[in-house]
Amino acid sequence: MLENYLPILVFVVLGILFGVGPIVVGYLLGPQKPDDEKLSPYECGFEAFEDARMKFDVRFYLVAILFIIFDLEIAFLFPWAVVLDEIGTFGLVSMAVFLALLVVGFIYEWRKGALEWE
Amino acid sequence: MSFEQLVFYAFAGISSLAALMMITVRNPVKAALWLVLTFISAAGVWLLAESEFLGLVLILVYVGAVMVLFLFVVMMLDINLAEMKEGFAQYAPVGALVALVVFGLIYLVVGPEHFGLDKTGLPVTHGPDYSNTKEIAVPLYTQHAYAFVLAAVLLLVGIVAAIALTLRRRGPRDALYQDIDAQVRVRAEDRLTMVKMAPEVEPDVSSKNEEEEGAK
Repeated sequence: MLENYLPILVFVVLGILFGVGPIVVGYLLGPQKPDDEKLSPYECGFEAFEDARMKFDVRFYLVAILFIIFDLEIAFLFPWAVVLDEIGTFGLVSMAVFLALLVVGFIYEWRKGALEWE
Repeated sequence: MSFEQLVFYAFAGISSLAALMMITVRNPVKAALWLVLTFISAAGVWLLAESEFLGLVLILVYVGAVMVLFLFVVMMLDINLAEMKEGFAQYAPVGALVALVVFGLIYLVVGPEHFGLDKTGLPVTHGPDYSNTKEIAVPLYTQHAYAFVLAAVLLLVGIVAAIALTLRRRGPRDALYQDIDAQVRVRAEDRLTMVKMAPEVEPDVSSKNEEEEGAK
């Protein structure tokens, strides 16, 4: 089975080389004149007044967690589709129950207005 | 050392290193990114163990979705690093004790006496036609259908809990925006009312004053 994944391993290694290589080459070949001013944040001549991190609306979090839940639902659908002809009616019904429960959740979030952004 | 062993040690080494960096690095956002690297290399190890579906789902779900959530939470917490460093020495002994107890428990359950070739035997390698996804899927949807449906219930609880915790109705004053439809449909008589008033004549004060001054 693993021989099927050899091309992916080659891609992974090439990807690492493409990502890390230029940084290493730049570090080795480029001139290095470190200066404090080069690291200082530039904000129209002033030092930064406050932290860049700030509180933001919790609705972004809600969208992310709803995405994860339906992402997991999709993850369950893939192997089911692969073996659909082997598991028969029972497998079909078990997936129907699974999806019905999640559709209840989907209707709930729709009716609650969790999908609205206004 | 075979090629597979080489790949395994590469992934396992990156995984351990990234995990170590994740718990030692100060910046929580960077810690989350190191955790991403840990997940990806752990997925590589799982692929080597011929559990391809789990490895790919690890990347899809954990790297793709859960880490986004982690970053959101880390950003939303608005952490002050100086405050976090306070009291480290005070809590370090308790933390070390808890870590030791947890390590002891894990050692008891999955210690080295449960592993080794004499206990588990050599892992069976499969041909190129072998599909781990099928091996997982067939028992999942038939034999373990009850647990599978329970997973749906857990996801449902997750949906309801997330909405109950974070969704709040906002009033019309929270966001101001134009209703162009209403603006176009409006007519002059909705906005402007002509009021008929009886004319009021004010007594002429200035002319009186002039008369008084003239008398003087």
